[in-house]
Amino acid sequence: MKKSFFTNAFLALIMSSFLVLSAGTANAKRLTAAVADWTGGEITCQVAVSILEQELGYKVERIVFPSGTGLWEAIAAGDIDFACESWPGYAEADDVMLNAPLIYDGEVVVEYSGTGEVIAFTTGIIGASDYYVPKYFMDANPDFNGWEDLNKFKAEFATVETGSKGRLIGCPVAGWNCHDQKRLDIMGIDFEAVELGTETALLAEAQGAFDRKEPFLMYLWEPHFFFGKNEMVGIGLPAHQSCDSFTEANNWQDCGKGSWPATNWPKDYTMNYMNPEVMAKPENAEALAFFKKMKFQNGDQAKMLVRVDSDGLSIEEAVQEWKDSSSDWKNWLP
Amino acid sequence: MALYQDLNNQSLQSKFSGYFVPAIILLSIIISLILVSFGEDKSEFPEFITDAFTFTAWVNQGEDFLKANIKEYTRAISSYVKEGYFLLEDFLIDSSWLFVTALLVIPSLAFGGIKLATFILFGTMYWGMVGLWESAMETLALMGLSVFLSVVIGVLLGVCCALSDRFERTMKPILDIMQVMPAFVYLIPAMFFFGIGGAPAILATMIYSMPPIIRLTNLGIRQVPNETIETATSFGSNRGQILFKVQIPLALPSIMMGVNQTIMMALALVVLATFIGAQGLGSDIWVAIRKLDVGAGMEGGLCVLLMAIMFDRFGKAVSRETVTLPADSQKFYILPQNWDIYPLARLFEKPFTYIHFTFAFMFSGIVRIFAYFLEQVLSLISKKIAIAFSQFINLHYFFITGLLFLIGIYLYDIHVTSIGTFPESWNLSIRDQISSGVSALTVNPTFIAITKTIRSSVIIYLLRPFDMYLTYLPYWFTIGTLVIVSWASVGFRFAITTLVLLLFIGACNIWTEAMITLSSVLISVLLCFLIGVPIGILASYSQRFQSINEVILDAMQTLPYFCYLIPVLMFFGGGAFSALLATIIYSIPPIIRLTVLGLSQVSSTYSEVSTSFGGSLIQTLRKIKFPLAIPSLVMGFNQTVMMAFAMQIVTPLIGGKGLGLEVFNGLARSDTGRALAAGIGICLLAMIIDRISLAWTKKQRDALGI
Repeated sequence: MKKSFFTNAFLALIMSSFLVLSAGTANAKRLTAAVADWTGGEITCQVAVSILEQELGYKVERIVFPSGTGLWEAIAAGDIDFACESWPGYAEADDVMLNAPLIYDGEVVVEYSGTGEVIAFTTGIIGASDYYVPKYFMDANPDFNGWEDLNKFKAEFATVETGSKGRLIGCPVAGWNCHDQKRLDIMGIDFEAVELGTETALLAEAQGAFDRKEPFLMYLWEPHFFFGKNEMVGIGLPAHQSCDSFTEANNWQDCGKGSWPATNWPKDYTMNYMNPEVMAKPENAEALAFFKKMKFQNGDQAKMLVRVDSDGLSIEEAVQEWKDSSSDWKNWLP
Repeated sequence: MALYQDLNNQSLQSKFSGYFVPAIILLSIIISLILVSFGEDKSEFPEFITDAFTFTAWVNQGEDFLKANIKEYTRAISSYVKEGYFLLEDFLIDSSWLFVTALLVIPSLAFGGIKLATFILFGTMYWGMVGLWESAMETLALMGLSVFLSVVIGVLLGVCCALSDRFERTMKPILDIMQVMPAFVYLIPAMFFFGIGGAPAILATMIYSMPPIIRLTNLGIRQVPNETIETATSFGSNRGQILFKVQIPLALPSIMMGVNQTIMMALALVVLATFIGAQGLGSDIWVAIRKLDVGAGMEGGLCVLLMAIMFDRFGKAVSRETVTLPADSQKFYILPQNWDIYPLARLFEKPFTYIHFTFAFMFSGIVRIFAYFLEQVLSLISKKIAIAFSQFINLHYFFITGLLFLIGIYLYDIHVTSIGTFPESWNLSIRDQISSGVSALTVNPTFIAITKTIRSSVIIYLLRPFDMYLTYLPYWFTIGTLVIVSWASVGFRFAITTLVLLLFIGACNIWTEAMITLSSVLISVLLCFLIGVPIGILASYSQRFQSINEVILDAMQTLPYFCYLIPVLMFFGGGAFSALLATIIYSIPPIIRLTVLGLSQVSSTYSEVSTSFGGSLIQTLRKIKFPLAIPSLVMGFNQTVMMAFAMQIVTPLIGGKGLGLEVFNGLARSDTGRALAAGIGICLLAMIIDRISLAWTKKQRDALGI
């Protein structure tokens, strides 16, 4: 009996304290942002959020949300108002949910014809992907000049899993449509692409190998924090050339050498994407105008990446430092 | 087939049957090896079946229909849950840290004494000291509400199961599916129906963590002896009275066990909840892990671990039936009671005794004065009520002081000075030490040489041959073997079920993936067995080893696996081997626990008899203890298999293959049907193996007469 009274009384206490504390303030200019879960995206997001908060008087609630289809669905459903730095080359959802051309510098860079549940504008960051080897490997092997020499050195890149073939630490997620193995096969590179499931796994594997100074070949993209800590060199895949028949509907019919996927990736004009209904509200007109004008530069992000990952600054500190020293962002204000 | 029926024939001569079963097994292995060596490619289901059976498309159509029609209702449910969650979260975050700490410590002091209170104090302080106070409060609100709702609904459903056999029969497969179905499969669709953040996270956590409480409530009520109920009936109790006054109180230990399990399982979902936008410790861990910041991730993980152990120990303290000793007559407060023979321990405990008496004196003094005043005031109205009140207050002096203390802090915080959130200057961080430790090991040549040797030998001699064997083995042979095994161990009806389930997997065109999953599960379980049983034997002989072991096992089960995935990757490299290792870490605890349980349950009389007849330690173990412990061992094996299956959904994050990867690929393309088919595949394999091993346990128990 004593126990049950005790518990009851405690519950009553907790419940009554709710009543005292549950008071909310309404604010018209409120937005909910999904903060990306990789450092580059986090920086781009913080740049946008800090301008919205400090210059335009919005109150932005930040939610950590892993990027992917789930995030697109959440924005379409109106649970999140906007998210930053999507990479069109990797997103599956953009084809389905966007219905307006993506414009950079006044030029159309990608055409979309989906449902239009989500709208998007370029961030200014242009991503590039490639295969990379560590700098120390290049230094130790001066006759290694690029992807044509990979077969000569395949024994150095071999692991238990790949046997006599070399190993490529490939694009981690099948849903990103990298077609690593297909690329290697068409280009005649006797390597096996290993899919590790997540970017984190890919980075952990590469970091371990780098720390031990082992030779390894990895897929990655720039700008990325990994390059701030570790010196890597791209192997210069042939420039991108599209191949129209290489789609799921055509059963991935490739166009042979010189065309995708046997080439490098196209440039990724990254974009901020948002819910159209929320952005159409009059109080969000300023935010929409800002997103249309935002043009963040790769070089600036790369500098901030170093400040964050090597110098131990927080994302907020690094962005504030950049905002104080630069005036680029003033051009993006509506 | 006819041969197999003979197997069960009791009249078969024992001499003959002794060689019969091994011979059949050997023969089938030889046949399978021949089949594998002749197989040119991986075994696939015929295309005309897989093309006609478009399960994936059906699911996606169904999902579209649901999206169009029931969204409003589900969103309404989630908005209620969300209200509750926000209320609790705001309350915890807005309250001063001192208030929250006191709110957690005082009840634990009441139920568990100084030892528990010290531990809880340490836990809460740790959250603050690593700078994760706010995240911890968010997680506390999320988990508190999930566990609360799970327990309320779970006990209700459990009572229904206990009262109606038919209800129990329908619930059983549903519970199996709830537990084994990978959370990822329903996490993303859940987001569409229930929105993002706390509400869907709470609902998803409830789906995953409710089965144990339902099962154990059901079990507890059903275990109440019939005689007790008959006695109650003969004294004129009606059904409601029997349920509330007899059955539920007697089932309480079992129910509390269910609560503990529910807590543990709920906390296992903390990190996954981040994937649908729930904030808290989970998102801190995820962000740290994304940056390969092992130290920060581990710190967050330790916060979750401490929270789980705090919930668990508190639940155990509350559910303990009898309070061992009243606090005043306890000899020791911190050290074990039987240590009072050591003078050093007595010296150590001396100050605590004084502290205890001082506090007890102060508290009871304050309460007496308070009660006296209240009595004086109330006696103006009615003498009788006044005396009753003062007696009540004097009886519950601890509770009243606690309450006064809390109100005091609360008022102080609001009216005098704001205490606010945890002071930042009290930082005590271990992340740098952990990180540098991990990076030192990553480049240590000896350590890496060892890890590489282990990795390559496991891959070359175990993983690769077994994967090849299962994937190249014709599907009809595998299905046939499993059907015969389920016939022999469970019965005819289950054999038919097995056949249907396996055909479903094949028809969904995921046969190869299913075989890879089966192979990794079987290999991890084999390794768990080889490592776990010896550890269990050691622990059953040495009490000290066992107590250390217990803590490590708790940690292995509740530390979010994301925390140790990165070090595993750095040391062993990504791919099948790391996936195997992560599976072993997660699923080894049950086999160790149940080995210890099984061996220590064997009555000491048996082993004494054996020793007195001159049996050596090994002989006693091999001839007496092991045979008697077999039911426990099989139970441990069964639990390990279940956990290994559950882990298959996580291993693709570090390069695992099979059905888990299929789930991820489905989700990455917004293809719920594909993800669901693979998720169901995992469930079905798990269910078949579960039933077979449970049936085997039952036979062993019957044979031993336990």
